[in-house]
Amino acid sequence: MRTALKTLLLTTLTLCSAKSVMAQQCVVDDRQRTVCMDKPAQRIATLSPGATELAFAAGAGSKVVAVVSYSDYPPQAKQITSVGSHTRIDMERLVSLQPDLVLAWRTGNPPEQIDLLEKMGQTVFIIEPHEFDEIATAVKRIGTLAGTEVVADDVADTFLAGIEQLRERYQNAPKVRTFYQVWDEPLMSMSGKHYISKVVALCGGVNVFADSSRMIPRLNVESVLLQNPEAIIAGGMGEENSSWLQAWRAFPEMRATAQGNLFFVPPSLIQRPTPRVLEGARILCDKLDIARARR
Amino acid sequence: MLAASVSRSLPSSKRFSLSVLVCASIVIMLFALTQGSASLSIREVWLALTGEGTPLATTLVMELRLPRILAAYATGGLLAVAGALMQILLRNPLAEPYVLGISGGASVAALVSILLGISGVLLSGAAFLGAMVSTVLVFGISQAGRTSSSLRLLLTGVVIAAGWGALITLILALAPPHKLPGMLYWLMGDLSYAGSPILPWCMLIAVCVVIVPLGRSLNVLARGALQAASLGVDVKRLERLVFVLASLLTAVAVTTAGSVGFVGLVVPHLLRMVLGNDQRVTLPACALAGGCLLTLADTLARVVIAPEQLPVGVITALLGVPTFLLLLRKGRL
Repeated sequence: MRTALKTLLLTTLTLCSAKSVMAQQCVVDDRQRTVCMDKPAQRIATLSPGATELAFAAGAGSKVVAVVSYSDYPPQAKQITSVGSHTRIDMERLVSLQPDLVLAWRTGNPPEQIDLLEKMGQTVFIIEPHEFDEIATAVKRIGTLAGTEVVADDVADTFLAGIEQLRERYQNAPKVRTFYQVWDEPLMSMSGKHYISKVVALCGGVNVFADSSRMIPRLNVESVLLQNPEAIIAGGMGEENSSWLQAWRAFPEMRATAQGNLFFVPPSLIQRPTPRVLEGARILCDKLDIARARR
Repeated sequence: MLAASVSRSLPSSKRFSLSVLVCASIVIMLFALTQGSASLSIREVWLALTGEGTPLATTLVMELRLPRILAAYATGGLLAVAGALMQILLRNPLAEPYVLGISGGASVAALVSILLGISGVLLSGAAFLGAMVSTVLVFGISQAGRTSSSLRLLLTGVVIAAGWGALITLILALAPPHKLPGMLYWLMGDLSYAGSPILPWCMLIAVCVVIVPLGRSLNVLARGALQAASLGVDVKRLERLVFVLASLLTAVAVTTAGSVGFVGLVVPHLLRMVLGNDQRVTLPACALAGGCLLTLADTLARVVIAPEQLPVGVITALLGVPTFLLLLRKGRL
């Protein structure tokens, strides 16, 4: 499927460079539906903070006219009109802003509201990247729709090259058994299918809950102690987070606590599937390197 | 129009009250049409309604505001009538549409559907089916014993509702986090995602046609089953009809907007305080006043902290609680 997508992308890119502005641009979204624009998008609405970041990354930031709450990156996104939260969109405000392209989030936005937008004739592009190269193609596809391919392709290629660099550097590094804490109450991690787990693997870590049958397993402290991870990486809501890690100090017999490998990685750098994941991945890789040095 | 269909034998003062409610309904719906996070003038709204507005105004009014207002009105009406019927059936002032577990059944079915990745019409269909399963379950079990009474029905319903509640908590605990917002919608009551208003409107009109001729019998039933039986009312048949009607209304309302609280409990009480306990008046008045309250509440939910949208259930309770307490204090209950 992904090769087909790439071929299509390449074809569209070739087509667009060959033809003039008049050519229709088509890309396949993460719902496997073809989305076409007669001319480059001029007014983009982004219905998740991640989508906002992707649009900016694709060089289409100046065309974004509507965002949702918590669209805090890049900082200029905070100045753009908000159309409510991603779970309950102010449809009136969104429609009044007359976007010609809506970037929606498959599992985050209510399907009823997305269906209604499409019924009203809006062009909706659904994004939901789960892999590093899906983040890259999301940026490229948005670039194609917005007519900013040059910037988008560059950003996407730099991102993939950075990821590749990390992969080469850590693929033979000693493995570090890692527990990534998505949330504290309830205690949550993620399975191997989640892209955060792929970041952990990229850095030579082994997600101790990779085999979990649920994408986001809810755990108890006991199950974490039983896994005895060598490093604990905490995410969280804000950009500062010591309280979650503090709680693990109560278990000095756990390897991560004993060796002082309780780390924090800013969640916005890793929990949003955007090119900034590279930055988050670099921090996470550094932390696991520290853990290796403490052996 | 509703006022006209009410029995001619009504005193003119009560017919007048219903006319006032009809007028209020129209005014509130028109007011709601002019309110929204996009500012449209009354003229722009009118042009959009008559098909001469700008494309944007027409989309805003005809595709966003009007369907939602109609859905809100019908849902409110359904809930208030269902609540009034439940209060008569169970002869308990605490009865409301959800007391017998109908919303619980609908929510469980909807939550399971969401877990399975079902959405759209199928999801609504599943919720409706869940409500019906709950209804049949409650009715079947409460009738199974040697004696059947409204107390037995109430207890069966309350216990089954508790069962649904446990299942809901279980599903919420096991559900993947990204599915939680969609699930909470079924529990909170929210018109943001309401579908077509056609079904709730058909239901509301149908129930008014069915229930108004039964007004006298319901008046007697409200005084007690024994009394009603001695006055020649076929109590068993009437109770079954009321139960089925109230369940259907609640199921349609829950399917449209999730479990919107408070309307079904408070509107019937408010109207009884004001209009007296004559079901020929109270029931159609419930349909009208319930519609007014929910339309007004949903308009507030849309605009009060726009662009953030509130679930309407928050507003119904915030409006309803002080109003109700005030009337209680004045000693009208």
